[in-house]
Amino acid sequence: MTAHKRYGMSIDIDKCNGCGACMMACAVENNIPPAPEAANDRRGVTWIRVYKVDNHLAYPERRTAFVPVLCQQCGHDTPCVHVCPQQAVDVDPQTGIVGQMPERCLGCRYCMVACPYHARYFNWWDPKWPAGMEKTLNPDVAPRMRGVVEKCNFCHGRWHAAQQKAAAAGQSEIDPADYVPACVEACPTGALRFGDLNDSSAEVAQDAQRPESFRLLEKIGTEPKIHYRSRRDWVREIASAPRPEGKDGLRG
Amino acid sequence: MTTTRRNLLKFVGGGAAGALLTPAPWRLITDTALWSENWPGIPRPARGEIHARFTHCTLCPAGCAVRARCVNGQPVSLAGVKPHPISHGALCPWGIAGHHLPYHPARVRQGPVKEALAAVARAISQRGAGERIAVLDLRPGRTVSWTNRRAMAAMDNGLYLAPLQPAYSIDLTEAQTVVSFGAPLFDGWGTPGNVFAARANFRLVQIEPVETRTAALADVWLPIRPGTEAAMAAALAGETTIAEAARVTGVKEEAIGAVKEAIASGPAVVLAEDPASPLMSLNAKFHALGRTVVARREAPIPEAWKRAAPVNEMAAAPDGAIRVLLIDESLPGGYVPWQDIQPKLAANAVVVVFSSSSEGYARHAQYVLPAPVYPEAAEDIGPAIDTVPAVFRIAAPLIAPVVPVVNPGELIARIAGLPQTDPLRERADAIHKAGRGTLLNYADGKSTPVKQVSADDFWKTLNQGGCWMDDSGKKAAPPGFSRSVTSPAPHDDLPLTVVAAEARRGGLESPLMSKLERESNLRMTANRVALSPADARSNGIENGGHCVLETACGRLSVVAMIDAGVPAGVVEVAGGPRMADLCGASQRARVVRA
Repeated sequence: MTAHKRYGMSIDIDKCNGCGACMMACAVENNIPPAPEAANDRRGVTWIRVYKVDNHLAYPERRTAFVPVLCQQCGHDTPCVHVCPQQAVDVDPQTGIVGQMPERCLGCRYCMVACPYHARYFNWWDPKWPAGMEKTLNPDVAPRMRGVVEKCNFCHGRWHAAQQKAAAAGQSEIDPADYVPACVEACPTGALRFGDLNDSSAEVAQDAQRPESFRLLEKIGTEPKIHYRSRRDWVREIASAPRPEGKDGLRG
Repeated sequence: MTTTRRNLLKFVGGGAAGALLTPAPWRLITDTALWSENWPGIPRPARGEIHARFTHCTLCPAGCAVRARCVNGQPVSLAGVKPHPISHGALCPWGIAGHHLPYHPARVRQGPVKEALAAVARAISQRGAGERIAVLDLRPGRTVSWTNRRAMAAMDNGLYLAPLQPAYSIDLTEAQTVVSFGAPLFDGWGTPGNVFAARANFRLVQIEPVETRTAALADVWLPIRPGTEAAMAAALAGETTIAEAARVTGVKEEAIGAVKEAIASGPAVVLAEDPASPLMSLNAKFHALGRTVVARREAPIPEAWKRAAPVNEMAAAPDGAIRVLLIDESLPGGYVPWQDIQPKLAANAVVVVFSSSSEGYARHAQYVLPAPVYPEAAEDIGPAIDTVPAVFRIAAPLIAPVVPVVNPGELIARIAGLPQTDPLRERADAIHKAGRGTLLNYADGKSTPVKQVSADDFWKTLNQGGCWMDDSGKKAAPPGFSRSVTSPAPHDDLPLTVVAAEARRGGLESPLMSKLERESNLRMTANRVALSPADARSNGIENGGHCVLETACGRLSVVAMIDAGVPAGVVEVAGGPRMADLCGASQRARVVRA
């Protein structure tokens, strides 16, 4: 019997330069299609989205930070699990990962309403890739259809691959180096780290204990497994904002 | 008991209501969803043998090492190569999705090759005395650049043109303080992995009017008044007083004084947004030459190539003299604004562009020939600005071209009558013959001295995932820099100073870049500008309103965004060749309502 994991991530906001490599790697890994013509920031699909936030001061005192927001993998009273009428969302007790089963999803979007982090996305259109580009799809992840909700699952396909590799080698535990989500692998600044929060020797678990570490909307008690950190006071303060700043008045 | 119509309806109605209390109908809905998941309109990813292949990214001069995950030979994802000593396993967002480019819907898929060759031959035979045939190479420093130069040397009155390539490299590992005049250090400058690996050891002072990605992560950001960089440079060099610089630039005296102290405390380097900027001459003042700013080194070349044509900037070409212009735009690189090129063309000039995109010079050329895109072509990448030792790395093709393409180097060599050879192999042999340096094999992460590798194995490893790096050797100081710094002249009709929000990249980008541009607010799309609330208000411009951006070079329809992070008097513009044509030769602009 293997020990239960509690996979989580730590994000150093002071290192994030907002390049977007994590968003691109996520889309490539999880077969997320390019935006249709009518898509915008509210109707697009980005399992991880880097928000540009600021301290609300006028130029030249204004300062900017980049905050990657993905499914926070709530560890307690997971809101989306509670509201799903189809049992299309569950928490894997073996990994702590909040999973989404699009084939069960009805598209009612209760989970999107319930999610306090705006980290769930609805497929408004059938997935379409330019002619020929479907050859570049990842065979480990099935594309989702129009009318279902999807979200980050810590690259579950990679976890399965790591499990299979460990099983083939006759091991009961996966090698941590074999299971790294695409966004973490892609981050050129090293701002993202991933691992088992139950393993006190893991970097991610140590990051979570740092004094400058915080979680988004900590006061609502959902026990997210994404731990942010920043030495800037104003950045830590926005963690308790009900909605990430920068959602309105987009420049993109 | 008789069965009445009423009883029958009661039974059916009761049965239907009762069925709703059972799991059956709900299960049916789930099953329907399961069925609909397999609609034929949703593509099914191909399955097959999975293996890794290595190459190098050619989308910018960094040339990061790439590990491609392939299914049946088709790349399905790209990642960095962790043990690489320069790129350190990092890729930028463009590089991560580079394998999508061959399938881009806007790709140039065909072109009039025969007609273009005939027009070029006709123009060459009919050209008058003093008229030139020229190649404009947007990515100088490659092996194919040497082919282009050799071709121009072989032609009567041939001229090789390229954007100015710095004669220096920056050694960030030696710097304790980096003073950057708008250089996008964390957003496209040099090799991303190399910059972030060195980051912990230097203090960054970013001097620019707008808080860019680099300024946001800098240790100190000095929000300078646009166009006053020369005054700041003079103060840092001790040529004017700090008080005078503070008055001109709007930066506090204490902040300028602190930067001067930081520079004096240890090895420093000055960077500028334009690598050819006279601001780079401050490095001589700070004793950085030969230490953090060193002479650029290139991989050895065959002896015969040394008779190639010299590299010229566009400004060196005589006006009205170019009868045939061949533009190699196959790789994104430095962009020369069309306003700088046009005066150099003869009245009846023939312009041929090799490109995969119809957005760049294709808008101005008579003939557009489809060029291969990454990762279709075998190329090499010259050393990046932050690469100190000479390197040689080949971008081995991961797939065959998906449309009929023309290889620019081969065609230009054919026009010039050069023998058809494999220049990459010739150069690899020259490097092997020199016997210096080591060969890093990405598959096993081992470095081997070149002397211990046969020429064939050297070539094979370079093509299957490897990189040659020269011995570190003694650092040499680069040639001197020009010292005159000019500020954009004020213009009454054009009150705004242009600042680039994004690197002016050319060429195609993955359709997935919509995630960063339209599906989030992370990057500015090509037709956007950002204004301060004050400037927007004074011009009656609303957020998201359609406007016209005007410079001395022309006009462009844009969408204006109001951003309190943009100072008054500045317009922040997106990237792309249209913006480069409009703003590249003119740093003053105005924005008016459409």
